[in-house]
Amino acid sequence: MESTAAITQTTTRIESRQGKLWRIAAIARNAFREAVRDRVLYNLVLFVLILTGASIFIGELSGGQERKVIVDLGLSAMLLFGVFIAIFVGVGLVYKEIERRTIYAVFSKPVGRGEFLVGKYLGLCLTLLVNVLVMGVGVSLALLYVSRGWDPLIPTIWPAVLLIYLELMLLTAIALLFSSFSSPALSALLTFMVFVIGHFSADLKTLSVSLGSSSARTLFTGLYYLLPNLANYSFITPAAHGRAPSVGFVVATGLYALVYIIVILSGATLVFSRRNFK
Amino acid sequence: MNDRIKNLVLGLVVVIGMTCAAVLVRHLDTLRPPPDPNAFDENLYLDGKMARRVSLGFNGLAADWYWMRSLQYVGKKVLNSDHPVPLDDLSSLNLKLLAPLLDTATTLDPQFLDPYEYAAIVLPAVNVDDAIRLTKKGIEANPNAWRLYHHLGYIYWQQHDYEAASEIYGRGAQIEGAPPWMEAMKAKMTADGGSRSTAREIYTRMYEQSTDEKVREMVHVRLLQLDSLDQRDGLRKLFAAYEARTGKCPSSWKEVEPVFRALRIAVDASGAPLDPSGAPYVMRPGACEVDLDPESKIPKK
Repeated sequence: MESTAAITQTTTRIESRQGKLWRIAAIARNAFREAVRDRVLYNLVLFVLILTGASIFIGELSGGQERKVIVDLGLSAMLLFGVFIAIFVGVGLVYKEIERRTIYAVFSKPVGRGEFLVGKYLGLCLTLLVNVLVMGVGVSLALLYVSRGWDPLIPTIWPAVLLIYLELMLLTAIALLFSSFSSPALSALLTFMVFVIGHFSADLKTLSVSLGSSSARTLFTGLYYLLPNLANYSFITPAAHGRAPSVGFVVATGLYALVYIIVILSGATLVFSRRNFK
Repeated sequence: MNDRIKNLVLGLVVVIGMTCAAVLVRHLDTLRPPPDPNAFDENLYLDGKMARRVSLGFNGLAADWYWMRSLQYVGKKVLNSDHPVPLDDLSSLNLKLLAPLLDTATTLDPQFLDPYEYAAIVLPAVNVDDAIRLTKKGIEANPNAWRLYHHLGYIYWQQHDYEAASEIYGRGAQIEGAPPWMEAMKAKMTADGGSRSTAREIYTRMYEQSTDEKVREMVHVRLLQLDSLDQRDGLRKLFAAYEARTGKCPSSWKEVEPVFRALRIAVDASGAPLDPSGAPYVMRPGACEVDLDPESKIPKK
């Protein structure tokens, strides 16, 4: 009798977990569709134009360094466009639902606030994934064009693309966190500041070591560990020289991103759960 | 119908407006005073370290930008110059920004080898200390790039510092993957640094190794110059033999033309032998001396 009750309880738990995953997937799918409908992926057209122009004209300007310039330009554009999407679309994910009052319709159904946030987050991550994959293929094709055949740089750019994607995932989570409690303009500004400071993390560490005052040292050491270390995800320049990161490095940065994203989304859920929409 | 007319008018306004704007820009271009060739180049706002810091992970792209700026900077000065200048002697062009531009490019991307190589070829005539500093910086950041040792050895060789050149070639020869001729260059520098054969060896290796068309062109001209120097030595010997035989120097090429014909040396209509660029040599009548034609593409120095 007791075992039947336990089985029923476990089955209910599994069903509820599956239901939760299904709901998150449904929200993510909708967020992706909305981004596509909002013509977010139109940036790919601009990207293709930049790369095509670079492939044709950069050879004459760069003194025979077109392959390096194409990788630098392509991956930098991928990061830049991705950052813009992560910031400007990310900060509007929740705000737009509140503004249009569609959030009431969502929460009238059995959808948790955490599920809503995670679903929205995964939807934008899917948009960014499509974006970076298409751009990665674009850079590879441009390399094939300028090399008139196979180019050894092609396999080395993909680990850098993966690191860029991880950085964008981190940034999207941060944008979502800020947008869960502030206006879109302020959220965009704060996220951009985190992006900038995240690339200065090495300086924060240097500062913390070189400062005389112990309180300042503690402050900067704290900031160094608290803020996301985005400099670790910059592998564009070595990729342009045909150097790929080690598997260990990619795994470690992936783990760091995962941990950080979990922390940020938990924080965002915490703030969002307390928010009153009345 | 009204809407169609409205759309047509608006479309025309856009097209005509853009055309007018383009015409105005062209007119403004003619009104703008031409740039003063004697004006001082404005110093760079950012040094390499600062540029790297503010590049936010886009340092590779920023390095490409500075590299292209360096090429444009030199190219513009060459185009504005009223006389042809060889790539390895741009001292007359006042290239004071070239070293900072290349320095910034290499600080942004220390593994970018082309700016170091460009510095080693172009900068010695402008500022040899900058050339040595940048090439050494490249070696420090890329200790396995044996080509940079070759370039540093070339700078020392140009400065007639054969001991330093020999030492650098020796260090470069020890790098894995370095070609065997690096070791041979070390010995050649010690034994025979100032000779023409050493110069030929250096330029031949540079020609083989370089992928830059401009550098290869410059090196090719230097190799032709060495050929011409050899030819002129040969002609002087011929004049000496003629003088020993007849007691006077030849007064025209016609007097020695049978020798050229026997040796199958190319001559022009006047019987003057041709230098490696195809221009006829000029004889100094009665002086047993030969010079390059003013129109010759072979460098005078």
